[in-house]
Amino acid sequence: MFKPQAMDKIELIIPEHEVVRTTEALAASGIFHHTPATQTTLGATPRGGDVWQTWTTDLVAIERRILLVMEELKIDEGAPPTAPLHIIEPRVAERDIERLEHEAETPIRELEAARRRLTQLQKYIGQLTPIADLDVDLGTLRDLRYTFVMLGSMPAANIERLESSLEHIPFVLVTLRHEEHLATVMLFGLQQDAAVLNRAARSAYLNPLVMPEDYRGTPAQAIAALQAGIERTQEHIVEYEREIAHLHEMRIRHLRQLLWRVRASHALAHTIAGYDHLQHTYLVTGWVPAAAHTRLEQEIAKVSDAVVIETLEPRQEDIGHIPASLKNPPVFSGFQGLVTTYGQPNYDELDPTPIMALTFPLIFGLMFGDVGHGLLLLLAGLLLAGRKTKAMQSAAGFGVVVALCGASAMFFGALYGSIFGFEDVLRAVWFRPLEEITEVLLFAIVVGAVLISAGILYNIVNAALGRRWGYLLFNRNGLAGLVFYWALLGIGAGAFGAPIPIPGSVFAVLAIISGIGLTFAEFFERLVEHHRPLFEEDVGTYVALAFFELFETLISLFSNTLSYVRMGAFAVAHGALSLVVFIIAEVIGARGSVGYWIVVILGNLFVIGFEGMIVGIQTLRLEYYELFSKFFTGGGTPYQPLSLIPKVGKLNASENTGG
Amino acid sequence: MGHSGVTAYAQVNATTRALYATLLTPEVWRALIQTPDFDALLVQLEKTAYGPYLKLDRQMLTPRRTVYQLRRYLAQGYEKLIRLTPEPGCQLLMQLWQLYEVDNLKATLRGVETNASWDEVRRLLSPMPRHITLTNDDIQRMLASGSIVRAIERTRHTPYYETLTLAVARYETEKNLFPLEVALDLDYRRGLWQGIHNLKGADYEQALRLVGTSIDVDNLLWAVRYRVYHRLSVQEIINYTLAFGYQVRDADIRAIAEGEDIITVIKRIYPRLEALEDIPAQTREEVSPQRRQLALIERALHRYIIKLCRGAFLGDPFHIGVQLAYLMLLEYELRDLTVIVEAKASRLPVERLASMLAVEWW
Repeated sequence: MFKPQAMDKIELIIPEHEVVRTTEALAASGIFHHTPATQTTLGATPRGGDVWQTWTTDLVAIERRILLVMEELKIDEGAPPTAPLHIIEPRVAERDIERLEHEAETPIRELEAARRRLTQLQKYIGQLTPIADLDVDLGTLRDLRYTFVMLGSMPAANIERLESSLEHIPFVLVTLRHEEHLATVMLFGLQQDAAVLNRAARSAYLNPLVMPEDYRGTPAQAIAALQAGIERTQEHIVEYEREIAHLHEMRIRHLRQLLWRVRASHALAHTIAGYDHLQHTYLVTGWVPAAAHTRLEQEIAKVSDAVVIETLEPRQEDIGHIPASLKNPPVFSGFQGLVTTYGQPNYDELDPTPIMALTFPLIFGLMFGDVGHGLLLLLAGLLLAGRKTKAMQSAAGFGVVVALCGASAMFFGALYGSIFGFEDVLRAVWFRPLEEITEVLLFAIVVGAVLISAGILYNIVNAALGRRWGYLLFNRNGLAGLVFYWALLGIGAGAFGAPIPIPGSVFAVLAIISGIGLTFAEFFERLVEHHRPLFEEDVGTYVALAFFELFETLISLFSNTLSYVRMGAFAVAHGALSLVVFIIAEVIGARGSVGYWIVVILGNLFVIGFEGMIVGIQTLRLEYYELFSKFFTGGGTPYQPLSLIPKVGKLNASENTGG
Repeated sequence: MGHSGVTAYAQVNATTRALYATLLTPEVWRALIQTPDFDALLVQLEKTAYGPYLKLDRQMLTPRRTVYQLRRYLAQGYEKLIRLTPEPGCQLLMQLWQLYEVDNLKATLRGVETNASWDEVRRLLSPMPRHITLTNDDIQRMLASGSIVRAIERTRHTPYYETLTLAVARYETEKNLFPLEVALDLDYRRGLWQGIHNLKGADYEQALRLVGTSIDVDNLLWAVRYRVYHRLSVQEIINYTLAFGYQVRDADIRAIAEGEDIITVIKRIYPRLEALEDIPAQTREEVSPQRRQLALIERALHRYIIKLCRGAFLGDPFHIGVQLAYLMLLEYELRDLTVIVEAKASRLPVERLASMLAVEWW
């Protein structure tokens, strides 16, 4: 739990004809972390086999086509399948999607055409309605001998321009109807100017009303016929929609399965394209947890006995790149998330998740001590962690964090004797922060000193794991730093009259010895770790800088410790904020009145939401900046077992990358 | 300019001036033009502000890809200045940026009509990583739709849908993209004009002078092209051009549409326009040399805009004009760089290349 799992580096030599089955088995095992190698032991270079590159490109295009059909049939992607998927070749997938496209094409196109027709017919009615009372055959208007008449619709913004363009020609433009962007107009002119008028009208985007044969006659007759046409079209639309719904039902499983198979095949092709390739063999390098090494060999042996698996000794260049597989209990997943937000632990360092799981609720509770507020947080956290609703499933890990913080707040609330801000209901088991401000601030400093010491101890263990003995002994966050810090604390405590059984002179000697170690830490580290030269610059400069280093260490330890005072300050602030709520409540109404209780309830909700958030942020800040900075470097490689099921969304949509 | 203008524009002006200093110098232009071939051109370009965008595998840097990479610099410039410029000036920059989206939309519609694949179309698009309504996903869906009408349906969520819907009837009867493209161009300029009028004070004046002149020039050149190349009627030319402008009036467009001498009209609008006098007499006769005449007019007008843009960096700097001027200058720089890239790729002689550039940068 404290250290990432031990990993073995392995290399698989896979005959060309076994590469698909082996890759599928590697993915199905769920334990193999693939490292796209740049240079293997045998000197091969990544070749990105052309066939597999072509597969990836083709499969991206096919996925797009599948998604289009699914969108048209109103089928969503569904959840990623849990069972291993069968790989599908691009040509097979293409044949399949072609058939599905063909099947869906007719009803979809017909539906779109019917919808367009419906819009068109409605537009015709809109255009004819203003002249519905005109008892003239529309055909007659078109064939007048001396007069040019054009009824149609045009963008309203173009009317003025059309009039301006016809400045030198006799014409009349009547706007019959004006909608937001569209106007229905009638253009009159001389038949002898028909050519000019037609070109002008067309260039102004005046679309003449040219109705199909069925809708001729007087405007009133045409409108009646159009309405009948609309009814027929609407019936057709219903039919096509029914047909599409039928297709939806019939093809939903098929399309989803095809989609995920294509995605899995893309992942497979993409993975293989990253393998090293010799003439007829693929070389695959990666990592597997040492405990699962044998299982992986067995899984591979089941699919092929021609694959050779070799265990390699990690090389110098692997250091820092070995994937770190964190093995924390599921209940810690929220804390692990907070840790990886700061940085990914390295393979050879301690995982800070356990210490965070312990200290985060402790710090939060100390600042937010209230039985009632803690209880509400606990319930909210349990609700989130319970995965009761789909929307909350992704926040389940965070729910545990909230619940533990709530429990800790309840614990400290009992110590402080505070419930929903009431300080006179419960008896304080320990003390009330508002009444004992000095005590609470001193307690916060003591907790801070313990946490800083824990951070330094973590760092000492990390250094021991990395066999950096010089660093372990002399670094400011190593043994010398810890002794120096404790000696200073001892001297400080003695100066304030704390009963300490060790004489002050012992602390003074320890402080001097460790101080010398810290001052010349770089020199001692180099000496112990056999690095040469011992001084990077001249000795005079080094000594001058070294004293500043010591001074900086002193200041930094002091400020780090004082930083934790905020825990006490927030504990006081929590009580003070609650007090303010009660003062306001008593201003609004007498104690026990409705107004009083409304303010108390709203005030408590405000305290939980607003102060809870601030305390949460402060806790995170103390963890990240005061604690983690002592021992955690981050920058590790996360352990990501090979998988053929993409975790999110579409395949990489190709960018418009130019030529 | 009040205190607010100074504080609002202080940071963005410092940034713009720093960017302005990275525009290519006359020495660099000379060196680029004199390069013997495309490879040497790339080497020269790598030494400029465009260098980081050209750090790709040499095999990938085809002329088309090179132009695309150069245009990424423009995209980054827009992104930076849009982020830093205060409202409402920022809105105008976004509208100016939208021009590239309109161009991408037109390229997509051409792709739909010719049944081109995404691979073919994406080579023609301007890189637009942010501040867009038409994503690559939309473009791919449009291409997959198989028809212009269905493709337009897939722009429903964009500001272009209304315009395209009003013009699509013309496309359906004529099977020609011209009406759609003209409608998009006109609508875009109308929006831009409105955007200028949403500004106040020095911002308004500067935007009107720079962007208004750019709209004027587009309008004039459309009128000239419709008359010279498309041989459209007076009414068509008027309907396919804008009724408004900064210095170009409706009467000027009408005069061009009705056949008045183009140079005379332009000289009336811009009496102090340089280089118009240089246009050889024979090209002023309206027959075969019209294309050359048009090219010369275009050059003269573009030089005029460039001069205006450079002028924006003098005097009171706390207005949107500085940002507009830089972005417009960068666009001109890129246009001529594109010419050089294509010329070097096709091994055009240096003398011919120099005559093809819009501006004598050196």
